Amino acid sequence: MRQSRTIGWAALAIALLGFPLIFSGAYYEQLAALVILSAISASAWNLIGGYAGQVSVGHAVFFGAGAYMPLLFYKLWAVSPLLGFPAGVAVSLTVAVVIGVPTFRLSGHYFSMATIAVAELIRILVGNWDFLGASIGLMGPPTARGWWDLVFRSSVPYYYIFLSVLAVLLAFTRWMERGRFGYYLRAIRTNERAARSLGVPVSRYKLLALMVSAGFTSLAGSLYAAKFGFIDPNSGLAILVSVNMVIMAALGGAGRLLGPLLGAAILVPLQTTMNSIFGGGGTGLTYVFYGGIILLIARFEPGGLIQMTERILTRLRAHAARSKAQAGGVNAA
Amino acid sequence: MLLEANDVTMAFGGFLAVSGASLGVAEGEIVGLIGPNGAGKSTLFNCLAGDLKPTSGRVVFDGVDVTRANPETHAKIGIGRTFQVPATFTDLTVLENVMVGAFARHPNATGAREAAWRVLELTGLAGQAERRAGNLGTPGRKRLEIARARATAPRLVLLDEALAGLNPAEVQQAIELVRAIHRTGVTLVIVEHIMEVILTLAERVVVFNQGRVIAQGPPNDVVNDPAVIDAYLGHSHARRSQQGTIA
Repeated sequence: MRQSRTIGWAALAIALLGFPLIFSGAYYEQLAALVILSAISASAWNLIGGYAGQVSVGHAVFFGAGAYMPLLFYKLWAVSPLLGFPAGVAVSLTVAVVIGVPTFRLSGHYFSMATIAVAELIRILVGNWDFLGASIGLMGPPTARGWWDLVFRSSVPYYYIFLSVLAVLLAFTRWMERGRFGYYLRAIRTNERAARSLGVPVSRYKLLALMVSAGFTSLAGSLYAAKFGFIDPNSGLAILVSVNMVIMAALGGAGRLLGPLLGAAILVPLQTTMNSIFGGGGTGLTYVFYGGIILLIARFEPGGLIQMTERILTRLRAHAARSKAQAGGVNAA
Repeated sequence: MLLEANDVTMAFGGFLAVSGASLGVAEGEIVGLIGPNGAGKSTLFNCLAGDLKPTSGRVVFDGVDVTRANPETHAKIGIGRTFQVPATFTDLTVLENVMVGAFARHPNATGAREAAWRVLELTGLAGQAERRAGNLGTPGRKRLEIARARATAPRLVLLDEALAGLNPAEVQQAIELVRAIHRTGVTLVIVEHIMEVILTLAERVVVFNQGRVIAQGPPNDVVNDPAVIDAYLGHSHARRSQQGTIA
């Protein structure tokens, strides 16, 4: 069991590391980089939305903060966007505390609605604020002055940068899953009152989970800005940015280590294909498509694809064991 | 006194669910808190557990005022509780449920897992450790409630109708479990509205009616108290029983 798990991890690592070497060409390289980037933000969302069960639909705020800060630093002082990364994280952590303290008093759908409201408020605010480029947005360095500008012509360097950040995030998640932090978050997700009666400081752990989640989401935003060299309210702060994270995590399996990665690996290629089929008119259809997915997950498979696979596997194993036992019975007779 | 409630009043609007209740629990005791439905037992219970903040009065645990302390602080200082309707972490396994409790004393997972196993053995749940807790039936979930509370290494456990909803055979097993927990040195306060159960378990009984303590003492004295009979069975019955027309 342990051995097969190790082999599984090694296979996944090799597949991810070797992907751009096998599927070369600008289209696949770009697609792969996008999958990993989406997996980072969805995995970051997973910490608070999946493990702790606090379904935030306002994570675009953290993504946006992470995306705006590097380009703002470049605009103001013409410094490397890299210097804006920690600034984005700092802003996100501050926003997380400011949003978290009042909204965590709400539970369930009310919490989700409050996060939407806050995110939309900030989107509109930024869209009208000239300092942040208003609705036009901000640009990064057009050509690289050095590696530290993070401007590469190919998607491959981005792919590996994204992959290493994802690796760190998943390693952190795994560590969290195994320790007190993870157990407490799962307890909070199922029954807050019971958790408190067992000495779980619910508010503190929720806030902590939101802060870690916000920090990593902000990093994803910064990486996005570095790759595309451009950010505006629509690409960084729109509700679709938040919804993307929620859907990817939910499709693969919210509260599961590899759920968001699986969700991203399915949804990003689908999205890209849809965009190329429907062209510029496809944006509206994306919403319809997402609505369909939300409905299907909520109705048939709230645990996501990972749980569905596990259930099918268990059933198959049970079936195999039963037919084996039956065959034995026939022989004995 | 390990736990002392002084003149606790809990008002919901103009309604006094508990009015001026006082109660003392000594270390090592099993105290039964009984009374008819709606007597205010659960409200007082929740005041003791930190789920409700009393309108007035004081709750003191081992010399520390816990009247306004939150539930997690109660757990930390050694007051465990169970819920009337089991509040199982359904997605977690039985072992993981108990580990959540054990983490209160053991910050790392290895220590918490070992402590949880000891509690599972004590409570007879070891055979079900890897089962998903959501798949347990009512008796299993009630047992898990107690196990989880025990895992926080409490000095006092408040049991809220730990025996309600069980059949007679299950009640017997649950009584054994409660005794086993008591033997490990835990003081117990049990809320029940089934008299028979409490009489076999508790050393001392506190009877509640309409938000007030109407009697307390050894179980046998209390059940013969006219005020108690009155509360449970109504006026006429109490009068007749005093006149000896009831056996």
